[in-house]
Amino acid sequence: MTESIQAFMEWIEGYPEKHRALSLQTPLVGYFCTYTPVELIHASGFIPVRILGESGPIQKAYTLAPSFICPYMRRALEKALEGRYDYLSGMVQGYTCDVACGLTNIWEENIRLGFYHTLPLPYNRNPEARAFFRSIFSELIQKLEAHGGRFSLEALSQSLKIYERVRGLLADLYERRYQGRLMLSAKDLFSIVLAGFVAPPETYLQLLEALVKEVQGQEVIKAARGFPILISGSLLDDPKTLEALEDLGMDVVADDLCTGLRSFYPPAGEGPGEKNDPLDRLTDRYLHRFPCPARQRARDRFPLLMDLVRHSGAGGVIFLLQKFCTPHLADYPILSEAFNKEGLPHILLEIEDSGLTEAQRTRLEAFLEIHGRG
Amino acid sequence: MRPPSQKRLQAAKALNQLVLRFYQECLEARAKGKPVGWMPPMNGAIEIFYAMDLQPVFPENWSPLCAAFGYAPQNFRIAEALGYSRDLCGYLRNIIGYVHGLMKEGGTPLALPEPDLLLSFGGGCVPAMKIFHILEDRFPEARIFSADLPQVAAEQVQDHHVRYAVSEMYRLIDFLTKTTGKKLDYDRLKEVVGLSNQASILWEEIMAYRRYIPSPFSAAEIGIMFVMVTRQGTREAVDFLTQVRDEVAARAENKIGVIEEEQVRLFWDNIPPWYNLGLLKSFEKMNGVVVAETYSSAWSIRLEGDDPIEALARKSLLSYSLVSCVSIKKRKEMVLKACRDYVIDGVVFHRNKSCAPITLGQMDIKRALEEELGIPSVIIDGDHMDERNFSLAQFQTRTEAFMEMLKHKKGLW
Ligand code: SF4
Ligand code: SF4
Repeated sequence: MTESIQAFMEWIEGYPEKHRALSLQTPLVGYFCTYTPVELIHASGFIPVRILGESGPIQKAYTLAPSFICPYMRRALEKALEGRYDYLSGMVQGYTCDVACGLTNIWEENIRLGFYHTLPLPYNRNPEARAFFRSIFSELIQKLEAHGGRFSLEALSQSLKIYERVRGLLADLYERRYQGRLMLSAKDLFSIVLAGFVAPPETYLQLLEALVKEVQGQEVIKAARGFPILISGSLLDDPKTLEALEDLGMDVVADDLCTGLRSFYPPAGEGPGEKNDPLDRLTDRYLHRFPCPARQRARDRFPLLMDLVRHSGAGGVIFLLQKFCTPHLADYPILSEAFNKEGLPHILLEIEDSGLTEAQRTRLEAFLEIHGRG
Repeated sequence: MRPPSQKRLQAAKALNQLVLRFYQECLEARAKGKPVGWMPPMNGAIEIFYAMDLQPVFPENWSPLCAAFGYAPQNFRIAEALGYSRDLCGYLRNIIGYVHGLMKEGGTPLALPEPDLLLSFGGGCVPAMKIFHILEDRFPEARIFSADLPQVAAEQVQDHHVRYAVSEMYRLIDFLTKTTGKKLDYDRLKEVVGLSNQASILWEEIMAYRRYIPSPFSAAEIGIMFVMVTRQGTREAVDFLTQVRDEVAARAENKIGVIEEEQVRLFWDNIPPWYNLGLLKSFEKMNGVVVAETYSSAWSIRLEGDDPIEALARKSLLSYSLVSCVSIKKRKEMVLKACRDYVIDGVVFHRNKSCAPITLGQMDIKRALEEELGIPSVIIDGDHMDERNFSLAQFQTRTEAFMEMLKHKKGLW
């Protein structure tokens, strides 16, 4: 098992060099947020890669952005200013939160890439929104074609197939975790998901298939490993935090992270009508994907979170947010009250740099002391 | 001999009356059974409301009033006790604190009426949308309408964005007709949109007089914006702005400035500190006047063409994007143009903890000012609602040093 995990780790740790090498053959396009339709980018002949923040110092970024934006975006800008993304051909981003939109535009002012494109995503799910989604997809395709891409519906079907398969396998792994049939640590599972953001989908699919085969060979029910928790929150791009949680005696049994479940669930969309047009299927997936607070109400997200809690047997919730993350902070009070009504203990942690602070560890220990033991 | 300077516009008094009347009207509407709808500002729903004889209420506009009346600190306390982080926009924390505290308690001279309708618009920033999501929980009886408005840079607006915005306008009209039983009279809408357009034209005219040296009024008078936020599409707004225009024109022609000797002309970027607008005047004792600000051009969007709905849709698409990080390029262009037009010597960037969307991009604008126009600038850390994020000492040290530098640069020292 450790060997197959190693293959994923190699991508996480070595992606800058790998990307640079790949970019000599196939152009790479960066994105921040999982509302970016990577399938269209891929079907147009680019490799979509997600921008990760990771830990590290911030200096240059402060000359362009204030300190009160999420550490993820600050770090990403810092890395871009250091020239770490000069291999990208362009950036595509959906307007999800204000900071993602603003930072894409600040990148455009300061980081010279072939092109930038922001998609104004609809909030609604009615037929008008669906039609609008199609029109912004066409606009993106045109932009990609103007920068050397070549799009066709057949290529899109092909891309959908790959991504749907990838997402389906990840969903299976999560399902095993809910049932206590997955022997992987939270950190390892997280690393597996994370690698999917930086590896080309074809390569990633192979790695996943190999891993799933191994996992299927281990039909064991794992012993309880600690207090079962659901992690709900924004983006996490540093596996260390999860390791720290496990060391403290938590067993992460579910998450709705932007670098976790939210990025791949549900695996596919449906197209109305007989033809099953790939653009319709794509539209449908983005309209019905597991929602982010930047797009949906806390009230509508809560039942989905409760489903995860019930399905996974979580006994508590950790809200793990990037500091200054407005969409999540705005939903927190309503969610927290709703969990209170269900008698489910929860705790809020804001990630300021990377990993947990001493004070956060102490709070978690107290949380476990009260709710988790016995 | 020069006529003596008068800092305040006469129209300021009329403005106070107007503010009172608006909020009284809101309360009366509720009492009279006229449907009350809460909505975010800067979109075309306001004209539709006035055309359909419905009462619009703007929670975001209520916040500056709370700041001025001193309610804000209490509102913040309540919101924070409910779990709303201090890192969230002050408008959000203020209104949420208000609806859960003072509004329930009553007893304030001005108050907001409960909403019959809540309109959330996807077209602005995340806090503006989240405010309404949270309000929906506080007012479960209210009917909800969620409109979509593409968040697209001003310079990238295309037909399909406009088409979608237009179809959302029709959906809104449909919703309002069904829930309130009122019908939209198309001719009346044309009239309202015509009035709205007149207000925009007057706004631009008023702003143009600020090019005069000395400037006839300063950013401390930006309260006149109230009519653009709450009264666009009414005769009242047009009358008031005509009065302001005439007064400003007379002052400009008679060379009546804000201060005796205007030496330095400044531009203020980002929302002003509503709890202390006096800060904008503090430059005056150093012979500086803030003659233009972010909002100067944000309210000049025209509502022209044969189709009033399309005009409203276009306005709605541009409003947020022009003042925020959605259009950093366009905003930069606008600030640079304003600095040329208003003969600006220096720019004050308010790095506003309560508003990431307007703060993002400031540094790019700052650099362009220096590189393209040689205009220096200073950054002030602050917050447009929450005084706790503002340091008077920092403000004073930075602005004083900045003013000295500007004067030195102009050979005045
Ligand atoms: S949603 Fe939150 S974590 Fe993601 S970019 Fe926006 S502020 Fe940052
Ligand atoms: S634009 Fe800025 S001030 Fe207005 S609601 Fe959004 S974040 Fe708050």
